[in-house]
Amino acid sequence: MSVKDVLGRHFSAHRQTDVLSGRVRLGLVVAGVIAVLFAPFAQMVHPFWMDLVTHMFIFALFALSLDFVFGYAGLLSFGHAAMFGAGGYAAALLIQEVTASALLVLPAAVIVGALVAALIGWLSVSARGIYFAMLTLAFAQLFYTIAFNDIPAMLLGVESVTNGDNGLVGITSLTLFGMDTGSLMSYYYLSLGILAGMLTLVTRLANSPFGRVLQAIRENEDRVAFIGYNVDRYKVVAFTISGGMAGLAGGLWVPVNSTATTSMLHWTTSGELIVMTLLGGMGTLWGPIAGAFLVVFLEDTLSSIGNWEIYLGIVYIVIVIFAPRGLSGLFQTVRANPNPKVLLGKVRSALATYRKKVFV
Amino acid sequence: MVLEGVARTALLGIEMGMTLVLITVGLTLIFGMMDVINFAHGSLYMLGAYFGLAIVSVTGNWWAALLLAPLLVGLLGGMIEYFSIRPLYGRNPLYHILLTFGFAIMLHGLVTEIWGGQVQNIATPAVLEGSVDLVLFSYPLFRLFLLGVSVVVTLALWIAIRRSDFGIVMRASAHDSEMVGALGTDVNRVFTAVFILGAVLAGLAGVLLGTARAVDPGMAASVIIQAFAIVVIGGMGSYRGAVVGAFIVGMLNAFGPMFAPEFTDALLYLLMAAVLLVKPAGLFGNPEAA
Repeated sequence: MSVKDVLGRHFSAHRQTDVLSGRVRLGLVVAGVIAVLFAPFAQMVHPFWMDLVTHMFIFALFALSLDFVFGYAGLLSFGHAAMFGAGGYAAALLIQEVTASALLVLPAAVIVGALVAALIGWLSVSARGIYFAMLTLAFAQLFYTIAFNDIPAMLLGVESVTNGDNGLVGITSLTLFGMDTGSLMSYYYLSLGILAGMLTLVTRLANSPFGRVLQAIRENEDRVAFIGYNVDRYKVVAFTISGGMAGLAGGLWVPVNSTATTSMLHWTTSGELIVMTLLGGMGTLWGPIAGAFLVVFLEDTLSSIGNWEIYLGIVYIVIVIFAPRGLSGLFQTVRANPNPKVLLGKVRSALATYRKKVFV
Repeated sequence: MVLEGVARTALLGIEMGMTLVLITVGLTLIFGMMDVINFAHGSLYMLGAYFGLAIVSVTGNWWAALLLAPLLVGLLGGMIEYFSIRPLYGRNPLYHILLTFGFAIMLHGLVTEIWGGQVQNIATPAVLEGSVDLVLFSYPLFRLFLLGVSVVVTLALWIAIRRSDFGIVMRASAHDSEMVGALGTDVNRVFTAVFILGAVLAGLAGVLLGTARAVDPGMAASVIIQAFAIVVIGGMGSYRGAVVGAFIVGMLNAFGPMFAPEFTDALLYLLMAAVLLVKPAGLFGNPEAA
């Protein structure tokens, strides 16, 4: 390692003392205020927008859960759909059979998500890199087939638990302190509040000594193990926390759609989540939130133009080739060089690099 | 007749396994050499089926489809590698997930837009219609043809990888691409060639299975996950592993529904997880890579 590298690391370590810098935090607070003010505005103009933004909030929460293990601990989970779906099914069953109280349903979704994550994590963390990804994928698909074939019903000897391919339908909305959250606006604020709370929690966790160890594991887990940390235990705990959040996102998602379906558990859901996280910029917390917003927004708007998948696919391809660090990287480049001429030069050099790499 | 049923199912398993080999070979070689997790590989298989469908409907000649569709898929695969995967070499292989996922979504959308979402089927050529009497049971002739083609291609490829100069360069690149580059071989070209080879094989499987079974936009997503399971079970990057893994999964697919239809898929993923837990490099993978 050259002297320059060492100095570079030293300085970058000083620059990144906090996971979210002061300016980003300010930006997030402003975004939060805008989000709070948006609902009454949407109510007047087009109430459907609230529904769309609520979807964004829930997927942002889901993406945040992945970024915590993927961006911070470096664990590429290809099985987050398992926790999302488990939380969702738990919420659906509770609402159908027991109570619709958010104070019971949502914590239950968190606990179920965390339990599933603890199990998967405990079995998987000793595998590294792509092997971890493949293990989590296998376990998540296992959960998918269990729900798809309604194996719980078979084991318990009852007619139906997950209701197989059809899923659980007709799930009513949550109640909070005796109030129904069925209206667009109340659910909007409920999801926004939970997202804001979880973002605060994750930021705290990421900046805590615990979060520092996770970052160190991402950078070099052998060294962390040599110092004497139990790397696997840290990974399992991080994965469990992340799973709890994914379960919460699932629990919030089910009442919005009034269904819990096997597609929540399907591997494409995990894949889409990774795409959101990479698209926004992993390891930045706000990036994956922005990525989730963008994907949900594009899926909705593009579907009015025609077949959204075609355009969304092209967006992914272009971004990954020309903006390697995702939306957050783009944003940082623009902020660092506000001069449009410089930016144009950057675009040109990006194209030149592409040409050079392709036509060597 | 128990014996008859078992024999018939075993043949079905071999057939399923051999066609899965065609789909998996590209995936495992590409992963072994370039660390690219290619989610678009299932889409290339799907495109093979749709190209076949289109060629048959235009020319009315199934043999033209069998020949041309894989070549078209190979061309497309080569373009994908050349224009989008190549610029990403040297970056974290994670980004290939985003890229190939983008292609998978885009191709799914395109196919649905052009051919619609309904389930279709490529008409079996007249010569290959009917069934053959195999003493214990009769079996569709086309299925036997499918099996024969897959076996011949698999064997030919095995010999090519073992014996030909290109096969040697390929295996060397999988082992240490930097060293091969230093010795004067253009590794990027080897990568492109392997990608095209994988795409052609996937396209071939698409035409064959599109005729034997069905053509629909969902075929990409359902096959890719099986292919991943096979790659993991056999060992990432190992040709022999892909063949053995595909054989195991084919048998599981054939016999599973006989004994426990609800648990067939679960068994596949349990097997995948078990291999990863006990022997992360897979049955024939390179343990150093794990």
